[in-house]
Amino acid sequence: MHLNIDYKELYNTSPSGYFCSLPNGTIIDSNKNFLELISYTREEVIGEKKFTDFLSLGGKIYFENVYAPALKLSGTVEEINFNFIKKDGSKFPVLVNSVEVKDKEGLHLFTQSAVFNISQRKKYEQELIIAKRNANDLSNKLSSVNTELLNRAKLISNQKRQLEEFNEHLENKNKQLSSFAHIASHNLRAPVSNLMALKDFYNENTDLEDKEMLFTKVETVIDHLNETLNELIDSVKIRGNKDIVHDAIIFEEVFDKTRTILEHQILDSKAIVTSNFSKAPEIKYPKLYIESIMLNLLSNSLRYRAPHRIAEIHFSTAVNDKEIMLTASDNGLGIDLKKYGHKIFGLNNTFHRHPDSKGVGLFMTKTQIEAIGGSINVESAVDKGTTFKIILKKNR
Amino acid sequence: MLEHIIRKNNVTVQGTGNRAMLLVHGYGCDQNMWRYITPHFKKQYKIILIDLVGSGKSDTNAYDYNKYSSLEGYADDIIDICDALNLKNVCFVGHSVSAMIGTLAAIKRPSLFEKLIMIGPSARYINDANYTGGFSQKDIDELLETLESNYLGWSSEMASVIMNNPERPELALELEASFCQNNLEIAKHFASVTFLGDNRSDLKKLTIDALIIQSKIDAIASIEVGKFVHENVQNSSFITLETTGHCPHLSAPDETVKAMKQYLR
Repeated sequence: MHLNIDYKELYNTSPSGYFCSLPNGTIIDSNKNFLELISYTREEVIGEKKFTDFLSLGGKIYFENVYAPALKLSGTVEEINFNFIKKDGSKFPVLVNSVEVKDKEGLHLFTQSAVFNISQRKKYEQELIIAKRNANDLSNKLSSVNTELLNRAKLISNQKRQLEEFNEHLENKNKQLSSFAHIASHNLRAPVSNLMALKDFYNENTDLEDKEMLFTKVETVIDHLNETLNELIDSVKIRGNKDIVHDAIIFEEVFDKTRTILEHQILDSKAIVTSNFSKAPEIKYPKLYIESIMLNLLSNSLRYRAPHRIAEIHFSTAVNDKEIMLTASDNGLGIDLKKYGHKIFGLNNTFHRHPDSKGVGLFMTKTQIEAIGGSINVESAVDKGTTFKIILKKNR
Repeated sequence: MLEHIIRKNNVTVQGTGNRAMLLVHGYGCDQNMWRYITPHFKKQYKIILIDLVGSGKSDTNAYDYNKYSSLEGYADDIIDICDALNLKNVCFVGHSVSAMIGTLAAIKRPSLFEKLIMIGPSARYINDANYTGGFSQKDIDELLETLESNYLGWSSEMASVIMNNPERPELALELEASFCQNNLEIAKHFASVTFLGDNRSDLKKLTIDALIIQSKIDAIASIEVGKFVHENVQNSSFITLETTGHCPHLSAPDETVKAMKQYLR
């Protein structure tokens, strides 16, 4: 079958709008569909209107700044969305494709444009955009809820950690207390049974001189007992003290005070006692503790000096990010850490057959340090000396 | 530094002349706009073309919303480019918004510039009590909507096709030809800064010689708007081209070149 296609008729009845415009925009021809779209008559448009006459001002800016240059530079543009204004002032969305028609020399003769009404599609597009925006909002909301949940989880895990720390602390205390109870009973039982024995001797003995001698011994044991008791009470005080006050402490000052207290022993032993606190001259810490720690360490070093050489005792400090280290070293008797290392800081543990050993000092020192989150460790070699290293947390 | 600026503003240099001509495109375009103008000045001038940051092939990562929230940010870039390339006695040619960018740069560093050619300038697009810029806030909102609806990146597939096919440069070319802004947010921000700005008070501070090239029928910058610029710039000339449209350098390059040459003679 042969049809004679009338191209003019095809152009006119085509289901989309066509128009042809001069380089200055004036429309010189259009098909029926275009005129129907914009509700103008042919006479009103041809030779009278320009492309931009159907655009709002905002659309004109886009036309001049984007559409026209793009068409000029590439000769064609496609799928540009404008809102066209009808004769009655109402607007409808269109897609425009345009192509420049040129002569053989490349001179721009006119522009052909095809216009598609996309009212239905545009409505759908807008619905999609709104849905997308809502989805975005929801997603943002969800992510903020998620952030909040994460924060809460963090908080809970923090609390959990604190509880664990607290628990550990309690366990530690419990251990200390049970050790304390054990040692206290043991520590007190020895002198008490000693006293009981002395009492029996005293009662059974009739010799006055012997009685006097026995009573002197009773006095000595009582003094000793009293001293032990006081130290035990002190250590209980330390562990019972919850609201520990942190003072600004200058190591040098505390050390000088300690030396004064022990001046008699230092002079007696001719020990050389030196110090250097220049690396960390100060710390915020409970004053009582630092005094007690230094007193214990210095008196230990003096007490357990090696008898055949002059005692040399040195105290110093060092510092890193979060911690201050206090070091006390001596050239004294030393401790056999292989044998005694595990119980060096226990109560009533003495490692020397020394007349003054009571085994309370290091236990108290450790308790005082741990009470405020520090730690203590020891390096020692028999007959070479001992170094105590105390890590103290910097308190701001 | 030089390399950084060249990448940031996609600076290209051509021509064999000794004198410097710096041409800067307006809103919505890039340096391709000058395609029909540059061949006419290649012999006498060293021609420098740039893309404003956020446009064309500039480094969009360098788009600092704070810096480019006023035209001063772009003017500073112009000065940086002149300094980096060691340009002196520059003939600055600015289309549309870049006429104002050039004005600001020439106020800041008058010694850098010899002449300022403004094509379709407007110091203020929005109408107010005693001034007709041609537009209202509502029109600019409509422009932003149009930008949004013509943003090719609305299809993420399209964006990823282009991003992931560096070996198929025709896709990027297609994008370039379609003048699609590859970053909608930047295009909208730049549109707001351009069309909502007000540089009327700056015009009087401009001291260097200027030429205003006005298209007879220009929907963006009308003759009145162009004349306002002319009347407020002390050493300025004004020429009207018998052309239609906001881009005479594209639609009527011969007339535009003629006006420029006449002025530069």
